[in-house]
Amino acid sequence: MSASRTTRARIAYTGRSVVMLSLAALIAVPLYYVVVNTFKTQAEMSASPLALPSRLYLENYTSVFGTVPLAASFVNTLVVTVASVAVMLLVGAMAAYAMVVRSSRFNAVLGLCLLAAFVIPGQSTLIPLYRLLVDIGLIDTLTGLVLLYSAGAIFCYFLIQGYMRTLPFEIIEAARIDGAGPWQIFWRIVLPLVRPILVTVGVFQTMWVWNDFITPNVFLTSPANRTIVLQVYSAVGQFSTDWPSFMTLSVIALMPMVVFFVFTQRHIVSGLLGGAVKG
Amino acid sequence: MSSTSVRPDVGRAVQAGSPVVPGGAPPVRRRGGPQGGWKQVAGYQAFLLPVVAVFVVLFLVPLAQTFYYSFTDFSGYSLDTEFVGLENYGRILTDPSMLAGLGFTIGFAVAQTAVITALAIPLAVALDRAFAGRSLVRSLVFFPAIPSIAVLGLVWTYILSPLGSGVLNQVIDALTGLGPFPFLSDPWMARGSVVLVAVWSQVGWHAVLYLAYLQSIPADYYEVATIDGASRPQQFRLITLPLLAPAITISTFLLMTNGLKVYDLPFTLTGGGPGYSTFTLTQSIITSGVAQGEYGRASALAVLFTLAVGAVSLSQLLWSRRIEGRIR
Repeated sequence: MSASRTTRARIAYTGRSVVMLSLAALIAVPLYYVVVNTFKTQAEMSASPLALPSRLYLENYTSVFGTVPLAASFVNTLVVTVASVAVMLLVGAMAAYAMVVRSSRFNAVLGLCLLAAFVIPGQSTLIPLYRLLVDIGLIDTLTGLVLLYSAGAIFCYFLIQGYMRTLPFEIIEAARIDGAGPWQIFWRIVLPLVRPILVTVGVFQTMWVWNDFITPNVFLTSPANRTIVLQVYSAVGQFSTDWPSFMTLSVIALMPMVVFFVFTQRHIVSGLLGGAVKG
Repeated sequence: MSSTSVRPDVGRAVQAGSPVVPGGAPPVRRRGGPQGGWKQVAGYQAFLLPVVAVFVVLFLVPLAQTFYYSFTDFSGYSLDTEFVGLENYGRILTDPSMLAGLGFTIGFAVAQTAVITALAIPLAVALDRAFAGRSLVRSLVFFPAIPSIAVLGLVWTYILSPLGSGVLNQVIDALTGLGPFPFLSDPWMARGSVVLVAVWSQVGWHAVLYLAYLQSIPADYYEVATIDGASRPQQFRLITLPLLAPAITISTFLLMTNGLKVYDLPFTLTGGGPGYSTFTLTQSIITSGVAQGEYGRASALAVLFTLAVGAVSLSQLLWSRRIEGRIR
């Protein structure tokens, strides 16, 4: 009886493993297809699209780097991402600090305003913001993008203040009695204490800014300013018949996020638990 | 500008509905604030200046402008802007491209919400059980949500290519001898393809969200139910599903609102075509507002869009709350 039960359990385990591994394989096939074809010539790709490459063919990589200004796009994206995420974390953390430490009618009203700003989709402010950037001469600049992305500070504010409220208030109190000013308390005590949530929020915002397509696509025009996602989109026409080169370009563009995922997966999943789900 | 949006109410739903709360409940005593002179008060309030600036410059003023433009014939260039009342709104309702955008956007949001929810819950249950390579499988199904969906959309145009050389058509041809199917050039297949890619990229992400909630259900519940003679399907229906209600609220809420805001995926996969069959509202706002300078009409569309997103969010949240309440 118990022997047959363990046998049954083992069969069920094996069955589940087979089903789940095949499912994972099915989900991964498109990614496999893209990666494997970067090592093939065009002829080999159309002859056997899903087979492993017959030899290590790296020509696609060298030719893509030669024809598309990838390094420049990577630098653009990196600059925009780092600057934007730093700005929004700082603004969000500062706001959270003031709201948590002091309560007043003004702060309560401001809290409601920020709540409302959450519900507003970016589409509803897009056209006036476009006009604004034209007027102040920041259209088609990376600075303009950073300005637009600083709207993400409100998302940061909500998550950071939620975390800040769980801190022992006595620490701040003690620091104040010792004569620390608001800025000192914020910089030396509060910020280090909320580092875990800064990391989580930072990871989510980095993914958003790095992957964002709509903002660069609407607000950037000159090729020199393109972010990496926009660069890939712009290169489609150029490679419309040369599929392996396009796959290579995509792989190169996606690689940083893959590396990022490997290192931050833990934070992403814990962020999902904490309600840091972004749209 | 797919603006980030954690709903605060989503965060609250997590706090209220689930035991998985990092840090626990916030202490009640916290209000009152530091005593001290106005100087110190000003010192703290100064920390709010940047966020107030962000709110005013990036939300309040542009939103007011959108409302204002929507009642005018403002074109961005002409100086004599006139009030036209509701004319812009009327024109939207007779513009075939905008109506097409409206139809596809709503259809897409509903379809992705339904399909992903129906798949993600069973997937989460499966991912929760023991099997070989579990953590690898979890990472793999989760992964497509990480890279830029715009780039993935471009890659999928090759996979779904209606030419015989599109790999999916090759596989179907090799297996069944059928095809080639015009996945991206037939209106209904194109719509289905957009939903397919959306499901592929997000189902694992939502499954992991459900998984987090599943793992917070105490194992005792299932043990007791087994002793009482409840079958597995019964356990799923009577224990798992009710306890997943808060996760269902969050997940469907995100899928629905993000579905309405969709832009990247249809734009890179199909470009809105064939015709206007996968045209989105956002694309419509951008095309008429930015490219054609039709500020009035685009603003009216943006206003309607904002109201629609607000209404859908609110009604869905209320509805989910009621369901949750009934299950409890």
